[in-house]
Amino acid sequence: MLDRRTLFGATAAVGSFVGGLFASKSASAKPAPMSKFEGDVEPRGTNQRLERLPRLDLESYDDMLTGLRIWSTRAGNRPAMNRFNTLLEQAGLDPQADLELEQIFPAVEDDTLIGTVARLRTSGQQLMWRALERHYHENADIYFDEMEAADEMGPGKLELNPDMEIPEYTKYEIHIQPGGYVGDAFAGHMYHYGTNNFYRAENYQDEIHRNLASQMATPKDGKVMRILDMGCGTGQLTAALKERFPDAEVWGVDIGGPMVRYAHMRCVDLEIGANFRQALAEETGFEDGYFDIVTSYILHHEVTAQKTKEIIAEAHRVLRPGGVYFPIDFETGVGRGRRRNNWGKFGSWRDHRWNEEVWRPDYSSVDFNGEMRNVGFEVVDEGPPAWRSRYNVLGTKKA
Amino acid sequence: MATSKLKTDRPTYASDFIPSDVERAVFLGNPVLDNMMTSLIALGAEVWSNRRRMKVLEALLADKGVTTEMIEQYMPTAEQEAEWQKDRDRFIDLTYSPLLREGDLPVSAAFTRDNK
Repeated sequence: MLDRRTLFGATAAVGSFVGGLFASKSASAKPAPMSKFEGDVEPRGTNQRLERLPRLDLESYDDMLTGLRIWSTRAGNRPAMNRFNTLLEQAGLDPQADLELEQIFPAVEDDTLIGTVARLRTSGQQLMWRALERHYHENADIYFDEMEAADEMGPGKLELNPDMEIPEYTKYEIHIQPGGYVGDAFAGHMYHYGTNNFYRAENYQDEIHRNLASQMATPKDGKVMRILDMGCGTGQLTAALKERFPDAEVWGVDIGGPMVRYAHMRCVDLEIGANFRQALAEETGFEDGYFDIVTSYILHHEVTAQKTKEIIAEAHRVLRPGGVYFPIDFETGVGRGRRRNNWGKFGSWRDHRWNEEVWRPDYSSVDFNGEMRNVGFEVVDEGPPAWRSRYNVLGTKKA
Repeated sequence: MATSKLKTDRPTYASDFIPSDVERAVFLGNPVLDNMMTSLIALGAEVWSNRRRMKVLEALLADKGVTTEMIEQYMPTAEQEAEWQKDRDRFIDLTYSPLLREGDLPVSAAFTRDNK
């Protein structure tokens, strides 16, 4: 167990002046481990950055379903794809041709191998969500006590906005998560632990997020005083950015009140001074030219095409001249606009329809880099690497 | 629109939401097959949870001097063996006898029994 530290009354005021403007820690700096705050609930302790799931059986359930996801992807995808192509040929279709989904469906829809692989994925995900939802709901008061204790603690601050109108486009159960990002008090808890399944067990130490922070593009003049992470979710990238730029004022915004609440609580636990605000990415509420870096991670494919355009414009508005916009998502790097083969097209449709990725086709329809140019960014199409790509789009606000 | 299943007076900062219809998805041509597979996956997760808990127990026992080697070498008494086999047979019967069921009547089939 790590040192106990009482943080009551220690909320740090986060001013606009930040010393050590040019400081950033190396990517290999040791990540912060979990601490323990007054009111913290961690019945099974911590494992480095992870607050362990509160029951051994729940942890084992996650372990099994994550293992099943890894196995079914590795063992099932290729045979299913081969079957898919065979069925297209049997239906008199050329698997290499650019087919419409309406041509594909009748040929493959009832196949049991393809269906089994899809069912393994979907049911595993449903069961994990259900197990988490059940635990947090059954023990709700314990976790409400914990969140309420953390809400006012520092070192970073939390700004909730219970009166804000939640736009309908954000209300879907993305990833078939119960209640989605906005509809359940424990959306943050469920998202953090439930997506370990998606990340194939590479989520609990913020592995991907810390790597993204280490890859984060910076302004040419090197000044990094303020950073904004749009659509921050559970704040894993926000936290990692604060660790890389410890002297910067770092903000995460997300429409999900329960998401930013969890993100803040986790940062209290990690003693990381990132700030969180419940706000829309297209309407962050920050003043013009406030930030040196604006970023996002897998935000844009969760919003409508129109909102993506508005978010790009908002990023431009809140950046100072010379500041950089570094959005990271599917297709912000290699592969944007690439024609998918029929198997990929079918998979994207299933992800859209049955993983509740409601806005994914909308996102794919946007000329993202073009929109960045339209609002005034100087755009480098092949910017620094990020995530799974050897380059990522980078925008700089013109002076 | 829907609201969370959680009923509470505490501040939740949650809103209503648009529910997914994934529960209605049929990937295997028959919803019963889909449901059976989901149950099978759930059963696997329960079995693994038990096995993992057993590993924890074995590790703790090892700390107390009961090693994995001792567990492997353990020889049940004849009485234990008989009792365990009885339990094993019950487990097999309950778990696998449904596989031998030879159903052949559609839902519309008329009664064929004498005592209808």
